[in-house]
Amino acid sequence: MNPKRIAAVATKEAKEVLRDPITVGVALIMPLVMLLLFGYAITLDVDDIPMGVLDQDRTPTSRQLSEAFTASETFRLERELSDPQAMERALQHGEIRLALVIPPGFERALARHEPSPVQLLVDGIYSATATLVGGHALAITGSFGHAAPSSALHLETRVWYNPSLSSVHTVVPGLYAVILMAFPPLLTALALVREKESGTIAQIYASPLSSVEFLAGKLMPYAIIAFVQMAMVIGVGFLWFGVPFRGSVAFLLAISLLYVLCTLGIGLLVSAVTHTQLVALLAVLIVTLMPSLLFSGMLFPIFTMPYVVQLYTLAFPGRYFVDISRGVVLKGVGLEVLWPSIAIVAVYTLLVFALAVWRLKKKVA
Amino acid sequence: MTAAIRTTGLGRRFASRQVLTGVELDVRQGEIFGLLGPDGAGKTTLMQLLAAILDPSEGQAEVLGFDTVRQAAEVNARVGYMSQEFTLYDRLSVLENLQFAARIRDVAPDGFRRRSRELLAMAGLQDVLDRPAGKLSGGMRKKLSLCANLIHAPPLLLLDELSLGVDPVSRRDLWRLLRRYRDDGSTVVVSTPYMDEAEYCDRLAFLDQGWVLAVDSPAQLRARVQGRIYDVRTAMSAAVQAILRDVPEVLNLQWLADRLRIQLHAGADLPPAILARLRGLATLASAAPGLEEAFIALSTAQAPAAPPPVTPAVTETQGGEVRAERLSVRFGDFTAVDRVSVSVSPGEVIGWLGPNGAGKTTLIRVFCGLLMPSDGEAFVAGLSVTAQAQALRGRIGYMSQRFSLYPDLTVAENLRFFAGAYGLGGMRRRQAIEWASGMTALTGMETRRVSELSAAVRQRLALACSILHGPAVLFLDEPTSGVDPLNRQRFWQLIQTLASGGMTVFVTTHYLEEASYCHRLGLMHQGRLVALGTLEQLRQALRLPADAGMEAVFLGHLERTQRELAS
Repeated sequence: MNPKRIAAVATKEAKEVLRDPITVGVALIMPLVMLLLFGYAITLDVDDIPMGVLDQDRTPTSRQLSEAFTASETFRLERELSDPQAMERALQHGEIRLALVIPPGFERALARHEPSPVQLLVDGIYSATATLVGGHALAITGSFGHAAPSSALHLETRVWYNPSLSSVHTVVPGLYAVILMAFPPLLTALALVREKESGTIAQIYASPLSSVEFLAGKLMPYAIIAFVQMAMVIGVGFLWFGVPFRGSVAFLLAISLLYVLCTLGIGLLVSAVTHTQLVALLAVLIVTLMPSLLFSGMLFPIFTMPYVVQLYTLAFPGRYFVDISRGVVLKGVGLEVLWPSIAIVAVYTLLVFALAVWRLKKKVA
Repeated sequence: MTAAIRTTGLGRRFASRQVLTGVELDVRQGEIFGLLGPDGAGKTTLMQLLAAILDPSEGQAEVLGFDTVRQAAEVNARVGYMSQEFTLYDRLSVLENLQFAARIRDVAPDGFRRRSRELLAMAGLQDVLDRPAGKLSGGMRKKLSLCANLIHAPPLLLLDELSLGVDPVSRRDLWRLLRRYRDDGSTVVVSTPYMDEAEYCDRLAFLDQGWVLAVDSPAQLRARVQGRIYDVRTAMSAAVQAILRDVPEVLNLQWLADRLRIQLHAGADLPPAILARLRGLATLASAAPGLEEAFIALSTAQAPAAPPPVTPAVTETQGGEVRAERLSVRFGDFTAVDRVSVSVSPGEVIGWLGPNGAGKTTLIRVFCGLLMPSDGEAFVAGLSVTAQAQALRGRIGYMSQRFSLYPDLTVAENLRFFAGAYGLGGMRRRQAIEWASGMTALTGMETRRVSELSAAVRQRLALACSILHGPAVLFLDEPTSGVDPLNRQRFWQLIQTLASGGMTVFVTTHYLEEASYCHRLGLMHQGRLVALGTLEQLRQALRLPADAGMEAVFLGHLERTQRELAS
C-alpha cells in the first residue's frame, strides 16, 4: 500500500466527480426526494377511512353506535346506506372501505341483554389496512357493548417507543437504511465500470497500482459524498418529519459511516465483476435497493416472515442497520445493545472489500 | 545485444476460440518493432500478453527479463502500455492527466516537472495545458496518451494501434516522437493495420489469424515478392480482366483507378499464351512491390471468389451525378463545411480524404439529405438536398464504418430487413436480395448469423444491404476499416464493378494507399476543399515525382493550405 498512489487516484476521481455537476446534484437531491416521497407515502396508519352505515334499526341506540364510529378519527361517514344492494355497490366501487350493518331489533335485543349481532364488512383488498380497520372497529363495538360501567376488568393499553403509533417515526429511520443502500453503491458501481467502458482501465492495469490502492483511492471521494447524503437524510428526518432523536447523534453518524462504507463496497464489488454500466446499474438495484425495501424490516417486520425468508434477510446489511437506526433514534439505546448488529455490518464491510479486491485482478480477461 | 522481449510458444484462447498460436518473438533493445495485421489477427491480445495484463494459455513471455505471469507487477512497473481505446480522463485537463499518470507510477515531483516540460513541448501540447482532454482533437489525444506513457521513462513502450483515428499530420508527429525515443535507447513495439505505417518500423512481424507469418525488416519482406508484381495498363479493363481472371499463375488481381496490378505466385510466370492474348490490349511493366503484396503472398487467408461480372441492378442505378454549389454548413460560429463546390459524374469513384474534423462526415450527411446546408445547394441524382430530401433517400445507399447490421440476425434476415426498410416487397425484394448477395459473394451464407462472420464478410454484407434498392449514388464512410489486405482489395474490386455499372461511389478512407483505387480525390481541411483531381494531378500540382506516395501528396497539400491560410 503506497499512500501517494492512493492519493493520486483519490484526487483524480474527486476532480472527475466535481466536474460533473449533474452527477453530484443527482447524488445529493435523489436521496432527499426519496425520503420525502416515502416519508409521506408509506404510512401504515389508518385514519379517515370512508365508511357506510346501513341502519335498519333506526333507533337512538343504533344511531349511538354509528356515531361511536364516526366520532373517532379513524372513520369518516361517507354515506348512509338505504339497502344492502347500495352497500354492496359502494364497497365494490371502493367508495367505502367499511360497512356497518345494524339489523332491525338491535336496540330491543340490547335492552333485553340478548345477543345483538352487528355486521361489519371490511374491504380486504389491502389486507394490512383491513386488519387494522377490523381491529379498530372491534374495539369500538366492544367498548359499546361493555358500556355498562360495572365492568370490573378495565384494560388499558400503552404503546412504547412510538406512543403516537405514528408510522412516520418508524418508517423514516428505516428509510435511512434503504436510502444509504440505494444511492451510494450506484456511485461506486458506475465509477469503476465507466473506466472499463471507456478503456482507461487498461492504463490502470498496466501501471504499478495494486487493486487495493486503486479501490481505496476510488472509494474516498464517494465516501465523502455518501457521508453528506447521510447527514442530509438524517437531518431532514429529524427537522422535517419531527422524528424524535432519543439516542446519541454522534453515535448514529459513526455507525452510519461504517454502513455507508459497506454499501459503497457493495457498489465496488458489483463493478469489479461487471463490464457495462447498464449491467452494473441493474445488478446494484437488484442487490441493494430491492432487498433493502423488502427484507430489511423497514416495511414488513422480519419476525412475521416465514423462517426461510428470515434466514434470507440475514444476507442483507440493510436489516441490521434498520435495527441500529431505529434502536438509536426511537429507543435511545447504544453500543451495549446494538453491538451484535454493528459487528455484523463491520464484518460484512470487510468481506465485501476483500471480495472486490480479489475479483479486480488487474487482468483484462 | 540483449532482448527486450522474448516469447516461446506463446498462445492464448478465449473459451474455444484460439486467438494467438505459437508466437516466437525476439525483440531487440532499441528497435521499433511493428506488429502488422488486420483486425482479428491477434495484435491486441499479443500486446496485452506483453503488458502482463493478460495471462497466456500456452507458452511464456519474458519482458525486460521478467516473466509476465510470475512477475507481472515488475513488468507493469517498467513498461508503458497504450491500449487501442483512449486512456485519458476526459474531464481532467492535459496537465492533470499527465500528473495522474506520473503519480500512479511513483514519479518524483522534480522529475515530473522536468520530463513533463520536455514531453509536452515535444508533442506541441504546451499551450493547452488546462484544456480538458475530452476537448482535444483525436491527434492531440493520442499525443497526450503517448506522453502519459513516456512520463516514467519506461525502457519499453507497447503501443496498440497508435494511429487509430489519427490523421496523417498527427501521425507524422507521433512517429517523430517515437523515433526520438528510440534513439535514446528505448524499445518500442507498435501494432498497426496500415501498411504505410509499418514501413517506418525497424523490423516487422506479420500477424494473420493468430499466427506470426514472418519477422523481418520491411525492405527484406518486400524483397520476398520482388519480380512478381506487374502493372497492366490498358484502355479495355473489362477484356483484360476477363483474360487474367482465371489464370492459375496469378495470385491476385487488383483493379486500380488507372491500371490493373497483378501478383504472380512464387516462381510462376505468365504463360506465353496469355501474354499473346494481352498483346495489343495492354502493356505490362514490372513494378516495385509494397508490403501489402508481401503480406498477401504470406497470408493464409483464402481469397473469396472474384466478383461476378456486372449484372444490371433491379432498379435504375444510372444518373447518379453529385453536384455541390458553394455548400456551407455552420454550427453556431463554427464552420464545418466552407463553400465546397464539386461535381461528380455518374460511374465515378471519388475518394474523400482529410484530417479528423475536416468536415468529411458533415458533407456526406448533407448529400444524404440528413442535414440542411446553411448556405448553397447540392443536387444528388438530380434531386435537391434541401427541397427533395425525402425522395433523395430512396436513390442513395449509405454504408457506415460501423457496418450497421444486426448481429443476432442471420445474413438473410438482415437482407430482408433492409430490403423491407427500403420499401421493397414480394418478387422485387427476392430479386434485389438475390442480386445484391450475388454481387457481394454472399450466396450460400444466408443462414449464418452475423455475429459469427469475419470482418470481411460483415463488410460485404453491409455493402449488400446498402445497395439492395439499386441506389444511383453510394456513400461509403471508411468502409474498409479493419479488414485484411486481400479482402480489402476484393472489396475495392467490388466497388469498381458497381461503378462500372454506372453507380457513383463517394468514399472516405483512412488507408491512404486506397487512394489509388479512386478516379479522383478530394482533400478536405478545416471545412474547405483544398484539392480536387486525380492522384497524378495532385502530384503535379506540388511538382512531386511520379512515385511519390499518397502520404507525401496529402501532407504536401495540407502544408500548402496552411501556408496560404497563414499568409
